Amino acid sequence: METLGYLGQGFGVATTPLNLFTALCGTLIGTVVGLLPGLGPINGVALLIPIAFALGLPPETSLILLAAVYLGCEYGGRISSILLNIPGEASAVMTALDGHPLARQGKAGIALSISAAGSFTGGLIATIGVTIFAPLLATWAVAFGPAEYFVMMVFAITCLAGMAGNKPMKTAVASLIGLMLACVGIDSNSGVYRFTFGSLGLSDGIQFVVLVLGLFSISEILVLLERTYYGQAALKTSGRMMFNMKEAMFIKWTILRSGVVGFFMGILPGAGATMASAVAYMSEKRMATRDNRFGDGDLRGLAAPETANSAAACGSMVPMLTLGVPGSGTTAVMLGALTLYNITPGPMLFQNQPEIVWGLIASLFIANVMLVVMNIPLIRVFTKILAVPYWALVPGIAIVTAIGVYGVHATTFDLFLMIVIGVVGYILRKFDFPLSAVLLGFILGGIMEQNLRRALSISNGDLSILWSSPITWGGWALVALMVLLPMYRGWRQRRTRMPASP
Amino acid sequence: MLYQRLFLVVLLVVYAVLAVATMGYEAAFSYEPVGPRAFPLLLLILLAAGTVYLIIRPGHMAEENADTPLTKHVLGKLVLCVLSLSLFAFFFEKLGFVVSSFLFAIAMCRLYNGGWVTSVITGAVMSVAFYVLFDRLLDVPLPLGVLSGLGS
Repeated sequence: METLGYLGQGFGVATTPLNLFTALCGTLIGTVVGLLPGLGPINGVALLIPIAFALGLPPETSLILLAAVYLGCEYGGRISSILLNIPGEASAVMTALDGHPLARQGKAGIALSISAAGSFTGGLIATIGVTIFAPLLATWAVAFGPAEYFVMMVFAITCLAGMAGNKPMKTAVASLIGLMLACVGIDSNSGVYRFTFGSLGLSDGIQFVVLVLGLFSISEILVLLERTYYGQAALKTSGRMMFNMKEAMFIKWTILRSGVVGFFMGILPGAGATMASAVAYMSEKRMATRDNRFGDGDLRGLAAPETANSAAACGSMVPMLTLGVPGSGTTAVMLGALTLYNITPGPMLFQNQPEIVWGLIASLFIANVMLVVMNIPLIRVFTKILAVPYWALVPGIAIVTAIGVYGVHATTFDLFLMIVIGVVGYILRKFDFPLSAVLLGFILGGIMEQNLRRALSISNGDLSILWSSPITWGGWALVALMVLLPMYRGWRQRRTRMPASP
Repeated sequence: MLYQRLFLVVLLVVYAVLAVATMGYEAAFSYEPVGPRAFPLLLLILLAAGTVYLIIRPGHMAEENADTPLTKHVLGKLVLCVLSLSLFAFFFEKLGFVVSSFLFAIAMCRLYNGGWVTSVITGAVMSVAFYVLFDRLLDVPLPLGVLSGLGS
């Protein structure tokens, strides 16, 4: 009951005119950004951080802005993946599997409205989930000491690698690179300059905004350059824009199941929306009867990943707010944004700044409603945006990126650093290393080292503090599970190497 | 596959350099048992192990690479793109935001198959519009450079 009171308060915060307007702008910007080929939620949120900062918005408002952009991007991303078969980011890959065939059959409008409905329901289920589980986890999280936190971070990283499907080792290496990057700069405990090699620009570490924009914007620009060379064309949308009752009935259980699955996948640190949509799609495919048309335009195959995707987007707020451990690349960016505002996410946030937490949760709900209200009538308009040619789009992205980076410190050193990071990011991407893992590692790196050193300071250097409480035992058990899972999967694949089952 | 292995070997060399650097990090006086050296060293060991594993068993490559093969032509364009980005960064403060982004936008526009006329128009519109938007409306200070006589 207490929770409901807080939630009411949250709605009070979220429905102030300024915040409502912010949420509206956020969803709109998010949808457009998500729609543009190559730009995903990470870019959207990252590009807006400097702007939100520059506008001097109060922290809860800018957090609402970022969350609304996040949801908007997740939504906009599917428009390009349904119409163009270009998934803007990893979590929309599953959407393209059945969404694009639907668009080819001329049912683009139906596909888009189903994905809107699915996203809405998924978001709704997850918002309810966040309301119930976040406070529970927050009260429980107070029992977390430095040792427990350290184990949680190890879990988050192994979870990321273990869940990453066919390339666990690449994910692991990528997140370790991220952890390593976090070590650059002055060490706050001892005052030693690490890995700066005498450069003044690196002395307070790699700026978060520089890393994100370098990894995602610059590398994306380079990828888009390849794509311009091998052009891609848009599809026409025609016919009915709305799904009918029969179609809605056909997918209702799919949507409900996928929403719940998505939420719980979103809570797991490191798993995030990509995994959620894949798991939901696979399990629906398995449950379907033999005469399904998964893979060439089954409505369930579209609804399942869509719903799970947005449920996970909301669900990943839970570990971010309660533990300060981001559940996905995008929440990692948001976590960075919070620290810019001097807010430390974690259990204490619920006690010290409830207006931020509950305002955010309430605005997630409002953003969901806005998305569905705004998007269904605007589908026709949005499909036009896809016609923006790269020669206008890319210089714009590049210049805004440069401004965002320059705005942090007003030094050109950061611009060069961003380009270097971008080129390395592009190379990593070409070799199939997941960049979001680098980012997650970078975010976790600082906190991870601090907690490890704090724990060992408490125990005076005795390593056994890392496995001294039930929470740490549980954590290590989960870590072991996550390390063994891909090994088991690989072993099973080798045993049943059959041509039919990929 | 060969290129990936090559890249991984380069990474190993980088780790080695970093490891040498790490050995030198010594706290002048310390009130904690761990110090600044242990954590990066631990990471480097894990990284090296992971990288060696990948050299031995590279795994699958993304399908994305299959339909956009890196020909010489594309590679040349990529280099040009990075070059123009670097020049943009170099002249950002020297020429000021408006001039440098005008030139940069034209270069990028041309790279992404825009025509000359459209490129110049895009460059002009973008450089001025972004300057007004960020510097004047959003309070992100941008350098005026050679135009500093005009602005106030």
